[in-house]
Amino acid sequence: MRLELNVVHITKVQFAGVTAVRNGVLSVNRQELRALVKKDTRLTDVDIELANPGDQCRIVNVADVIEPRARTANSGPDFPGAVGMQGTAGHGSTCVLRGAAVLINDYDIGGRRYQRPDEGIIDMWGPGAEIGPYGRTCNVIVLALPADGTSIDDYCVALKIAGLKTAVYLAKAGADLAPDQVEIYDIPSIRETAADMPELPRVTYIFQVFTNQRVPLPGDSVLYGHHIEKIVPTILHPNEVFDGAVMDPYRGYAATYLIQNHPMIKELYQNHGKHLYFVGVIISNAPNNAPEYERTANVAANLAKWILGADGAVLTKIGGGAPELTMARTAQRCEELGIKTALALMHQGIDASEITLKASTIFSNVPQVDAMVSMGASTASPMLTLPPAEKVVGALDGSRIGVEIRRPASDIKGSFSQLGDSRLVAVRY
Amino acid sequence: MTSISLMVGVPRVVPGVKIVNPMGNEEMNPEAEKRLRRDIATSALNALQAEVGEPTLFDRHKA
Amino acid sequence: MTSKPLRVVHYLNQFFGGLGGEEQAHRGPQIIDGPMGPGRVIQSRLAEKGEVVATAVCGDDYVGEKMEAAADEIVQLIRRYDPDIVIAGPAFEAGRYGVACGAVCKKVQETLGIPAVTGMYGENPGVDLFHKDVYIVQTGDSVKTMNEAITKMVNLAMKRVAGHKIGKPAEDGYFPRGILVNEKSERSGAERVVTMLLDKLNGRPFEPEVLQPTHYPVSPAPRIKDMGSATIALVTDGGLVPAGNPDGIESKNATRFGGYGFKGIDCLAADDYDVNHSGYATVFARQNPNRLIPVDAMREIERERGIGKLHERFYSTTGVATRLEMSRKMGQAIAAELKSEGVSGAILTST
Repeated sequence: MRLELNVVHITKVQFAGVTAVRNGVLSVNRQELRALVKKDTRLTDVDIELANPGDQCRIVNVADVIEPRARTANSGPDFPGAVGMQGTAGHGSTCVLRGAAVLINDYDIGGRRYQRPDEGIIDMWGPGAEIGPYGRTCNVIVLALPADGTSIDDYCVALKIAGLKTAVYLAKAGADLAPDQVEIYDIPSIRETAADMPELPRVTYIFQVFTNQRVPLPGDSVLYGHHIEKIVPTILHPNEVFDGAVMDPYRGYAATYLIQNHPMIKELYQNHGKHLYFVGVIISNAPNNAPEYERTANVAANLAKWILGADGAVLTKIGGGAPELTMARTAQRCEELGIKTALALMHQGIDASEITLKASTIFSNVPQVDAMVSMGASTASPMLTLPPAEKVVGALDGSRIGVEIRRPASDIKGSFSQLGDSRLVAVRY
Repeated sequence: MTSISLMVGVPRVVPGVKIVNPMGNEEMNPEAEKRLRRDIATSALNALQAEVGEPTLFDRHKA
Repeated sequence: MTSKPLRVVHYLNQFFGGLGGEEQAHRGPQIIDGPMGPGRVIQSRLAEKGEVVATAVCGDDYVGEKMEAAADEIVQLIRRYDPDIVIAGPAFEAGRYGVACGAVCKKVQETLGIPAVTGMYGENPGVDLFHKDVYIVQTGDSVKTMNEAITKMVNLAMKRVAGHKIGKPAEDGYFPRGILVNEKSERSGAERVVTMLLDKLNGRPFEPEVLQPTHYPVSPAPRIKDMGSATIALVTDGGLVPAGNPDGIESKNATRFGGYGFKGIDCLAADDYDVNHSGYATVFARQNPNRLIPVDAMREIERERGIGKLHERFYSTTGVATRLEMSRKMGQAIAAELKSEGVSGAILTST
């Protein structure tokens, strides 16, 4: 499958009479965008806010971040199954407004299914902007409340779709421009590629997308428009994963933006054809009980071994400590089948006072699973003093304006990441 | 989570029903549940009477 | 930075301090001017940068028997010399000596507000007790490694006095102190993990950043031969406590357990108990505590003489995010109590 990303760089976002992109400036017709979002009658009190890097603006209660992208003509539907009709992502060409982001904001509304506590702060200036990526993007924030008679679940689903629609709407404005750069992602079928690079080790990426330690939001678009809390592991072409087939679960541990710019997939693509043959992505969830995670581990390892013919596998997890069990078991099964594994872990719930840096205490004791990389520990997150903001977006009351706050660094959205972009390493002293 | 117990080295492990209800099952009527509880307890007592070397799972559903 | 030589006080036990062997282990604290024994090696490493102005000596048993008070006395002697830093040991394998060194160093830091450094071998109990409070240099297990140990100790001591950043445990040769810090690597996690996988695939050596947890092997207790006369007890980590949680057992990361009697009771009543555990939905256990501590089923078995006796006290704590070390300690304590009460077997219900 071959995909071209036509990248248009954005350096500023502003309101204007017409939604357009010119010289790196994204202009947004606020009324038109509001009307687009309001078409979904599950939402009311729709508002659109903007924030540019350097603004003394703090955005709270961020439920997801999405990069503006739109498929160009003949490439098929946008976010297939979620916004557009069902189809296939990852081929043809997609326009990307790089440097811009759509944020969706749910005001931390009550009655949501168990979600992680409010850790979605984005500061556009000051210390908060240094440690998370979204303080440096030009942000278009979509806010809404549930309409009368809409359940909270439906509201959350609708809000996410609104964010995705906004992402498409904005990117369409740049789709006719000559791109600033073109990125090409091309891995043909196994039949062709295997013949081309017989001597390179085949490497697959086992990507955990959702953890069942959390209650899934019914109707949430995670894989081609549907949720994945019950799936067995399945294989996707890497292009599908980051070109709109896979989205972060609502208020998940990552962000759709991160999946669209998937650091592990990018790294494997960099190495493809040189040091390894990137042979496909196995996506999975993390079950919350032993029989199911045994099943997940077996299915994933078997797919890697017998279908993809992998020599090696990189694994990440999503969530807290419990998904480490699924990851560890999957790695163990892979090793038993002769597939060498390497794991990338961001530690949560680690015992900081233990004398050596070890995996979470519920990690399995399996000697062959010996290649592990640390991506930091959110529990060792320092406290930050964040300066008072002139403008706060996403709070229902004005109480946070002009107030200095102290929060752990991990509360800044994107400061800690489980997908590989983080440069943090947890070190024992 | 029997597999963790075995991995960690617990010598005698008896599977419970579920995390939220290890020695019971809220879907059963009380009499049936009590019988189930007895079965699991009896399994445990049998395990205590068995000589073991390695971590061993005593599954009452198997021979 | 400073041209004034550092004032160093050295702490030694009765043996290295020249008082004698085991038979002098009871001797109380004393202090003399200048270095002695291994202190001379410290002096030579310090050269003109520092001076061992005094050596404090104390018997290991004297400290062992009343650690706080003894450490206090020693510190009072040390303070008269107005040191910039205290160096204790090295203690190598000697357990009481290592513990004494740790205690003295900790007390020096707390009371005099100056840094203190010691050194000992990994198995020394002083490491376990004091690694979080005191920088303990890793030494070999015998006096033969004295010179190397002192070199490391002096280097670390100089860094601490100068306020320089202390390197990672492996770099500066000390035991990790249990402090976790997020540092910045030059490469992203994705780069590092793919590189590590390629190294592994190509048979090249690699250095993992995260280690497997070690689980201490548990030897199985021998089987119960005569269940008909055995006393069996019930234990749980599901957080079952009497209503009101009188012992204040934490709902996660527990540091306490409780033993709760149910004399003459055939079936635990829901109203008498709470379930205090943040790691699972406790609704079913609250409805019927016998689902955690199966008194009802066990009483039937007892009546039918399937067991000799049901021990009428169950033990409980909370097993979520509870530290391994603490779990081990609690398990040992519970086992000791059960054993002293004549219990031969226990059923632990885990959530």
